[in-house]
Amino acid sequence: MNNKKSNFPADDAPSYESVLQCMRCGFCLPTCPTFALTGRERSSPRGRVALARAVHEGRLDFTEALKDESFFCLDCRACATACPSGVKAGEVMEICRGQARSAFPGGHLSATLRRFVLERMLPDPARLEGSMLPARLYQRLGIQWLVRHSHLLKLGPDWLEKAEGMLPKLEMPLRPRLPELTPARGRKRGRVAFFLGCVMSLLYPEVSRQTVRVLAHQGFDVITPRATRCCGAPHLAEGDRQTARRLARHNLELFLAEEVDAIVTDCAGCGAILKEYDELLAETVPAGRRETFRARVRDISEFLAEAGLRTDGLGEVRASVTYHEPCHLCHAQGISKQPRELLRAIPGVELREMNESSWCCGSAATWGLKFTDASRQILKRKLDNVRATGADYLVTANPGCQLQLAWGVKQAGLPQQVRHLMELLGRATPE
Amino acid sequence: MISQTAVTALSEKLGRKNVLSEKEDLLTLGYDATPGLSALPDIAVYPTRLEELLFALQVARDEGLAVVPRGSGTGLSGGSVPHKGGMVLCLGRMNRILEIDEANLTATVEPGVITLDLFDAVMAKGLFYPPDPGSQKVSTLGGNVMENAGGLRGLKYGVTRDYVMALQCVLPDGSVIDTGGKNVKDVAGYAFKDLLVGSEGTLGVISQITVRLIPPPRSKKTLLAYFDTMPKAGEAVTRIIAARIIPSTLEIMDRTTMICVEEHAGIGLPLEMAALLLIEVDGHPAAVEEEATAVRTVLQQAGAAEIKLAADADEAASLAAARRTALSALARKSPTTILEDATVPRSKLADTFAEIERLAEKYRLVVGTFGHAGDGNLHPTVLCDERDRGEMERTHAFYEELYEKVLAWGGTVSGEHGIGLAKKAFLARQIGPAGIAVMRRIKNSFDPRGMLNPGKIIMEE
Ligand SMILES: Cc1cc2nc3c(=O)[nH]c(=O)nc-3n(C[C@H](O)[C@H](O)[C@H](O)COP(=O)(O)OP(=O)(O)OC[C@H]3O[C@@H](n4cnc5c(N)ncnc54)[C@H](O)[C@@H]3O)c2cc1C
Ligand code: SF4
Ligand code: SF4
Repeated sequence: MNNKKSNFPADDAPSYESVLQCMRCGFCLPTCPTFALTGRERSSPRGRVALARAVHEGRLDFTEALKDESFFCLDCRACATACPSGVKAGEVMEICRGQARSAFPGGHLSATLRRFVLERMLPDPARLEGSMLPARLYQRLGIQWLVRHSHLLKLGPDWLEKAEGMLPKLEMPLRPRLPELTPARGRKRGRVAFFLGCVMSLLYPEVSRQTVRVLAHQGFDVITPRATRCCGAPHLAEGDRQTARRLARHNLELFLAEEVDAIVTDCAGCGAILKEYDELLAETVPAGRRETFRARVRDISEFLAEAGLRTDGLGEVRASVTYHEPCHLCHAQGISKQPRELLRAIPGVELREMNESSWCCGSAATWGLKFTDASRQILKRKLDNVRATGADYLVTANPGCQLQLAWGVKQAGLPQQVRHLMELLGRATPE
Repeated sequence: MISQTAVTALSEKLGRKNVLSEKEDLLTLGYDATPGLSALPDIAVYPTRLEELLFALQVARDEGLAVVPRGSGTGLSGGSVPHKGGMVLCLGRMNRILEIDEANLTATVEPGVITLDLFDAVMAKGLFYPPDPGSQKVSTLGGNVMENAGGLRGLKYGVTRDYVMALQCVLPDGSVIDTGGKNVKDVAGYAFKDLLVGSEGTLGVISQITVRLIPPPRSKKTLLAYFDTMPKAGEAVTRIIAARIIPSTLEIMDRTTMICVEEHAGIGLPLEMAALLLIEVDGHPAAVEEEATAVRTVLQQAGAAEIKLAADADEAASLAAARRTALSALARKSPTTILEDATVPRSKLADTFAEIERLAEKYRLVVGTFGHAGDGNLHPTVLCDERDRGEMERTHAFYEELYEKVLAWGGTVSGEHGIGLAKKAFLARQIGPAGIAVMRRIKNSFDPRGMLNPGKIIMEE
């Protein structure tokens, strides 16, 4: 069968086993947002895996079309949840993005910009935060680079308009402000490290401030290592696996040096990647260290559900709430019940389920800016489901979703206020 | 090869997004769920209306292309694999539910409607469409009709054929026949409709389907029974049938299957057991009560190690859903999963299980078995690696020997997945040269040029 040589252009290709595993039953088809948009088999998980398999078997070269397909995949992982055979089409496409870098190195300008943002800006929190002060600069360097790189500039200023519209009112980044140790309140239950994500620190500093406060109120000493770097998710998304590995290694060593019960984050995207360091670092870090790290990483809702939420002393939040599940929480981490449990535990909160709560919102890191139109269509489906609940609040647990939903709600003139789960819990937690 | 003019003409008529000729698209439209089979068509088209469908067929005729109809490509015998190239005719965008006729209890749909979507739509009107193949979330009605698909409710309610009332069929020469109708009784002329059901896209392209609906059962109960051997479970099935009880669902899973399903669905199956029966009785509440009790008694007599009643409708639904993933879940365990569709008279079930176990040992293979036990329809599935020559040969020998027995017992080589490419040799054995010769003559009368799904079902001379 596989007697021909693989046509993947570089090392670090998806393994042949991972694509052979697909038995083409199609159970993933109805769960894939991009397939729902195009109805085109090659934009479905089954089709994408088939293409990767064809490259493996030498039946297809790594073409521009395959590159486009790998970037068109939202990496939402809905297919992995649905797949009884355990195939991870999203991950296969993520790895293919790395292959795309070798196959299509890109023009001089975009290559330089890419290197600047991915290799210099994102990995260096101080530099990133510095650039934040004039917010425009961040947009220029970050988002604009991405758009240039993906040759979408010609398509007009759609993305720019959206990016501008999405940006929340900026406060000072949280990282330099957050104490390295926030002591537990009341009866102490343990000690945790908080992994502060870049986007949380820059765009939603108040959310993470609440997270740390809630953790302390729940009886945990919270340490926040100042030397935390970007988790590497943007690099993986762009196919820069090398920088991602470098960052992963740094974070892993940094957090393993701390004596803590758990490494907690309130960013679903960061959490998913931290849990995947295990695979990402398979060749560079000994298994024991990877396992110890993996065993400690927790999403905040997962952590609090395991620890058991102390509800005594919580104030009331009288509101109806509907919950949008971030892909990187429900699909990548399998965390679905816990956020709902927390919501129900807040006195006064009435949880109203929406249809298709685990269907992607169309944000997917920079995807929503690259494919503005497709993103808008996916978002519309989400908002229709939100509207039907009539809830006061739309709650989620990931900064990317929050940006997209807040923007969408505003655009559509919906009454819902968009909040991170920890903002609600924070509100119930006394100062 | 297709000419550039033809591609242009198709794009103009059907719209560019409905005509695909890039290699990346063609590669993903040349397979179904049958292991080891895939091919590269020359072009793929998605008609959205009858008129476009006719145009596509016209182009194929002019260009001398083979035409391979395709639903969702979940077939398990290679029916929609374009092994001779040509045009893949994707029916998935002809997907409107045209009518739900509450006076006549029928529904009329285009062939690309997803099975579960029809089920949900009629359910919303308080009606019931029983055929429910494991693939119902993905498969199309056109594909179901062409494979005469069965499902989990097949035992009591029958298979797709039992619900097809009328078909509109486009023949390769462009003529359109309407066969059947909304009449409950109809004996006018040859039963074309019944010939078309299960014809696997070799006689015509189905462009419209009218199905019969029934009132939904008023209540149901779901039972689980565990056994410490497979033959014991087989014996229990035989006894239930012999006790004149017809549950709506009577499904089986062996331990290998249970382990894989549990890994995916996490519903708490006891993995130390050797076999599981999933039994559903439905109908009038009083009758359901009585039948459930009767089933329980028979199960006890047959030596069930444990019998459980599903707590509520949700638990029952999640069990059925888990059962539907059995085949795909088995694929976790090995690079290749080759399943069969052996069907035997129900009095032979225990023997068949014993035979599967014996042969698995003889050929040193890991076999997971599950299926519609109440129908006598089993899916022994070999977990193997297509890169391992020796293992593939042993797999082949395993099925050869199994089918020999199945045929000797009066069974059939396919209960529901069809013949397609994968089972042609077995079919020839089952129906003999005279049977094949008649099939060939029928094929010729519908499709004299042999352009529709060539080389499927019937062995070439
Ligand atoms: C996990 C899994 C579980 C399954 N469970 C069951 C089950 O319980 N019972 C069962 O019976 N089957 C089952 N199947 C097999 C398969 O789903 C059925 O055969 C289904 O009916 C195929 O439908 P499709 O739309 O995918 O058709 P395809 O696979 O695309 O096509 C099937 C055949 O129909 C022809 N065809 C399709 N549409 C048309 C049309 N409009 N006009 C003419 N010809 C057409 C094709 O050429 C081909 O020969 C299962 C498959 C999988 C992967
Ligand atoms: S990826 Fe999984 S669900 Fe999708 S076709 Fe392959 S095996 Fe089936
Ligand atoms: S990750 Fe999401 S977009 Fe990508 S193939 Fe899977 S379901 Fe589709």
